Amino acid sequence: MFDYVSFMQNLSNGVLIGGVYALIGVGLTLVFGVMKTINFAHGDFVILGMYCAVLLNTLFGWDPYLSLLVAMPLGFLTGAILQRVVLSRLVEAPPESSLLVTLGLSLVIGNILLLTFGAEPKSVNVSYASSTVSLGEVRFSLILLLAGLATMVVIAGLYAVLNHTELGRAIRATADNRLGAELVGTNTRRIEAVVFGIGMALAVTAGVVLIPLLFATPTFSGAIFTLKAFVVTVLGGLGNIGAAIAGGLLLGVVEVMGASYLTSDYRNAYGLLVFLLVLLLRPEGLFGKTVKRV
Amino acid sequence: MKKHYIILVGLVLLGIVYPQMFPGYLSVAITLLLYAGWATAWDILGGWAGQVSLGHASFVGLGAYFVAVGTAHHDIAPWWSILMALVAAAMLAYLWGSLTFKLKGPYFTLSTIAIAEILRLIAINEGWLTGGATGVFIMTLPEPFGLDLFSRQVNYYLALAFAAFTVLIVMLISRSKFGYQLRAVREDEDSAMASGINPTTVKLKAFMISGALTALGGGIYAIFLSFIEPHTIFYLLLSVQIALTAIIGGRGTIWGPCVGALLIVGSGEIFRTMFAEANMLIYGLLIMVVVMFLPRGIVGEPARYLLRRAYAKRAQG
Repeated sequence: MFDYVSFMQNLSNGVLIGGVYALIGVGLTLVFGVMKTINFAHGDFVILGMYCAVLLNTLFGWDPYLSLLVAMPLGFLTGAILQRVVLSRLVEAPPESSLLVTLGLSLVIGNILLLTFGAEPKSVNVSYASSTVSLGEVRFSLILLLAGLATMVVIAGLYAVLNHTELGRAIRATADNRLGAELVGTNTRRIEAVVFGIGMALAVTAGVVLIPLLFATPTFSGAIFTLKAFVVTVLGGLGNIGAAIAGGLLLGVVEVMGASYLTSDYRNAYGLLVFLLVLLLRPEGLFGKTVKRV
Repeated sequence: MKKHYIILVGLVLLGIVYPQMFPGYLSVAITLLLYAGWATAWDILGGWAGQVSLGHASFVGLGAYFVAVGTAHHDIAPWWSILMALVAAAMLAYLWGSLTFKLKGPYFTLSTIAIAEILRLIAINEGWLTGGATGVFIMTLPEPFGLDLFSRQVNYYLALAFAAFTVLIVMLISRSKFGYQLRAVREDEDSAMASGINPTTVKLKAFMISGALTALGGGIYAIFLSFIEPHTIFYLLLSVQIALTAIIGGRGTIWGPCVGALLIVGSGEIFRTMFAEANMLIYGLLIMVVVMFLPRGIVGEPARYLLRRAYAKRAQG
């Protein structure tokens, strides 16, 4: 018997959690679009955001959403510095190099967090953790709703910056044609640092938004988020922000639906399976240019 | 080339007397040898053929599970189950490669992570096949020629044989026609095709050899641990460790992966008390330093320097 209410319930949960995945994916795809770098440490940036919220909560009792005020600028600065110090050295190197360096960065971040905070999962308790908002018979968890809302605000802000400011034009120009952008006077090195900063700020925001929902664990969860971000971006197409949002929503829905209608043991596998299928069946549509077949 | 064989024979002789000299450090040496073998096997695909895989833990897991499940549930002697694992690993590599070799560079790498994660979830969830998330204990092992397979000493010689065999295979490959085909594909697939090489076939062969050798090490690893669980043995971090060991040492060189293993397992031992469970920190720092300052790896950079100097001398006459 098909249960309409529980279907809508699952769908809305999927869309809301997918919104957060989209936020993670957009950061990854923006960095890829401009720098052609696959950032393996992206998931660990999410975890950094989680720990930032945990730290501010235990020290000052801040609400996670308040800690965004600190976490976002801090994330931006750290990202820009990381790009300047580490990644800018690899512009001329083969594409694998930046992948390997960010993989190293991911291990370093995860293990430093492990050394500082210990291995036990950490979370933030908020008073509204179990509150729900009802719409007809479908109930939305307030935390998920807030997460979805925050995601929308941030992505809308990003969209506005990219499409309606001089900086956004420079970013799009660099993504489009690096040499051309340089010829008309864009400082692409600066743009790259800014973009990596924005990417990290987006990841950190996603982490802060997620902390009332999930536990922060130092090493393993970073890899999971990185993987999810890849799934999101490849579903939509690397380098394409609108498509990353669609990919995020799709991943969220596929995971929640798969977990409730098939079996929850394979919750993380559904996304990966879709990811593989898309990667294998429609690679040319997803990567922006035709992949040669041998 | 002859000097590589002499080095190998020398190292094996050194390896044979090692247990008499340092009987207290056998476990470290076993780990070192296993990583050296895995990284060398990984390098056939990752270094010589240039396809960076982050899914090789699947092959370790495959070999380990064949041995563990074979002895624990079906009473099959480990040498038979290792043979089966080799065949299964080659088949898995064939399927895996046929699916994903049309993807290039980073996309291939991403797909290997995805497939390895799916295999890990299968190993965790399909208890009827693998013993499930709790893992498998190896309680009894047969005693071929009166050898106790549980003893550290025997494990050590198995690991030594595995590492030496793998290095030998790579040496044979490096000078064979197949080895040159691998390098041609790595450098430029289009040019390789133009000279009559089928890149997909060459990469498939490399993946099958690499996967089978990794599974061989996995089987020995299972005997060494005598307990395996899917969370650790199929883990993404094990794949990362294997790949980084080879890359840090030097991709596409005969001794690079071994040097990488020595460096990483050695420093892991030294810093173990300092970092405790955060042992992957060393991998992270090393790979960043190597990629930024020694892009061809610790063995690869000086080897290239020597090669270039030799060419320069010859050119000067």
